[in-house]
Amino acid sequence: MRRISLALTGIVFLVISVLLLSLIAYSPLPVLAASLTNPEIQFAIVLSLVTSIVSTAICIAIAIPVAYALSRYRFTGKKIVELVLTTPLTLPPLVAGIALLLFFGTTPWGKALDSAGFGVIFTPLGIVVAEVFVNLPYMVRILRSAFSSTNPRFEHVAKTLGCTETGAFFQVTLPMARNGLLAGTVITWSKAMGEFGAVLMLAGATTMRTETLPIALYLNISAGDLDLAVAAAAILIVISLAALCTVEYFDRNTNVF
Amino acid sequence: MLRIASLSVTLGEFSLQDVSLEIHRNEYFIILGPTGAGKTILLETIAGIHAPEAGRMWMDGREITAAEPKDREIGMVYQDYMLFPHLSARENITFGLRQGKMNRDEQQERVHEVSALLDIGGLLDRYPITLSGGEQQRVALARALVLRPKVLLLDEPLNALDSRSREKMRRELLRIRRLTGTTIVQITHHFEDVYALADRIAIMREGQIVQTGVPSEVFLHPADRFVAEFLGIGNIIRGTSSVSGHLARIMTATGQVFYASSPFAGEVIATLHPEDIIVSAAPFASSARNCIAGTVSEIIPLGNTVRVVLDTGFPLTAVLTRESCSELQLVPGSRVYATFKASAVHVIPVSE
Repeated sequence: MRRISLALTGIVFLVISVLLLSLIAYSPLPVLAASLTNPEIQFAIVLSLVTSIVSTAICIAIAIPVAYALSRYRFTGKKIVELVLTTPLTLPPLVAGIALLLFFGTTPWGKALDSAGFGVIFTPLGIVVAEVFVNLPYMVRILRSAFSSTNPRFEHVAKTLGCTETGAFFQVTLPMARNGLLAGTVITWSKAMGEFGAVLMLAGATTMRTETLPIALYLNISAGDLDLAVAAAAILIVISLAALCTVEYFDRNTNVF
Repeated sequence: MLRIASLSVTLGEFSLQDVSLEIHRNEYFIILGPTGAGKTILLETIAGIHAPEAGRMWMDGREITAAEPKDREIGMVYQDYMLFPHLSARENITFGLRQGKMNRDEQQERVHEVSALLDIGGLLDRYPITLSGGEQQRVALARALVLRPKVLLLDEPLNALDSRSREKMRRELLRIRRLTGTTIVQITHHFEDVYALADRIAIMREGQIVQTGVPSEVFLHPADRFVAEFLGIGNIIRGTSSVSGHLARIMTATGQVFYASSPFAGEVIATLHPEDIIVSAAPFASSARNCIAGTVSEIIPLGNTVRVVLDTGFPLTAVLTRESCSELQLVPGSRVYATFKASAVHVIPVSE
């Protein structure tokens, strides 16, 4: 048992390492560096950074109160609410994307938003909306676990020491959930950087308009420009490795995954 | 000073029903009860953490039923201290002061004062995780006391300490009360805390207060069987102890003498389980050190056992089986002897 499991672990490690290396080995560093000066790749980097940062910020702002409510309060229908909030987690992003497309494209609310100037279909705003929708459940789950592991008595003490309920949350519970918040932010952000399916459905794949890094990868592979595709992929790998290391560092205690 | 009238609270499976209490200024009030009796919920409701469904509370005549916790002038220290782990001891202590926008000099002054009181001056820049249990408790007490609360609520403060530190902390708590004039309400299930600390006690059971009173009164006249059984110990005797070797010679206020295995000299309280007393018609020949003559003053049947109260110059309660009671033909006024071992007597030094 010991031998087989260790051997299998070694094989999996090797396969993943070889895959990652082959991608980096395909285009030597000078080629990669040249790709970085390509305006299309630069546009994709900037657009990915902006949309992912904005969507992560929105996820944090929504997830903090939601996760707190789920960890602290009892209410009727809580199970159902939890279930619905979690669905985007297991839903294929393409399906999430088409649901968003239908909502914003065919319902009166969606049309009203569009005519009010908040058009999301095939626009950069759509990228943010798709990323928020797909990633919010992760943020909620991670924060919920962090809040649940914080004894409510800390808040009780804070209140007897002069805090309001909100004060106790921001001065005690949130700082104590700091590692969970950081881990959640990094995971949400790196997933937003890599989001493809939902973005493709809602925001489309328009060169130099809704072209995030994964979309750039897809468009360039389709057009046969392997160098640019690999450049986009390499950037995404660097981001995911950095995110992984950060999460490992901050998530030592909370263990959400 | 703190008056609670007909308080009812429900929290999940726990509830308080119709709790009424009156706690006096500078009193050391102990709430005693088995686990799950609702003691912590009662403290938290007094602190304003839970809103009561019914009932009212007053502090110094001012109604605080609906007041925010911060406006109650009530401090609270939990059993596990609940020091904020992300803040140093000093930041924990100044936490409450910072909420009130107190200027820095005055904050420093207050911290200085409270750290002197609790002897934690050397710990201020350390984080809770590096402090021992006893040290954490001092910091937690300082954090509550620095705001000069009128009432300090303590949730099982001595539970996590070993018996030596517990004894020390009891003296500390009495000293704190004397120096600060704070009224203290404490939860415990240690009877020793009652003897050593309490001015008055309340016994709680299933969310209700079953009896309130001064300890000797409650111990001698338990309101019902639950209280009697819960307290278990029927004998609390005050006296003066003089020690030779490992044996304490204890003389009561009325001049009776008995012996206990104890190193404590001076003013003491001796406790003795009723089960540890042998009652006999003639002096009982045994290795037991104590054999005291007395008369039966009261016989209380308790199912299969009988509680017999003897007058030996001080009241002494013994528990007999129903059979031995009828064998001895005990009636009020019977002359009997009470025999018990020196090692069965538990001696607690009286602090202050």
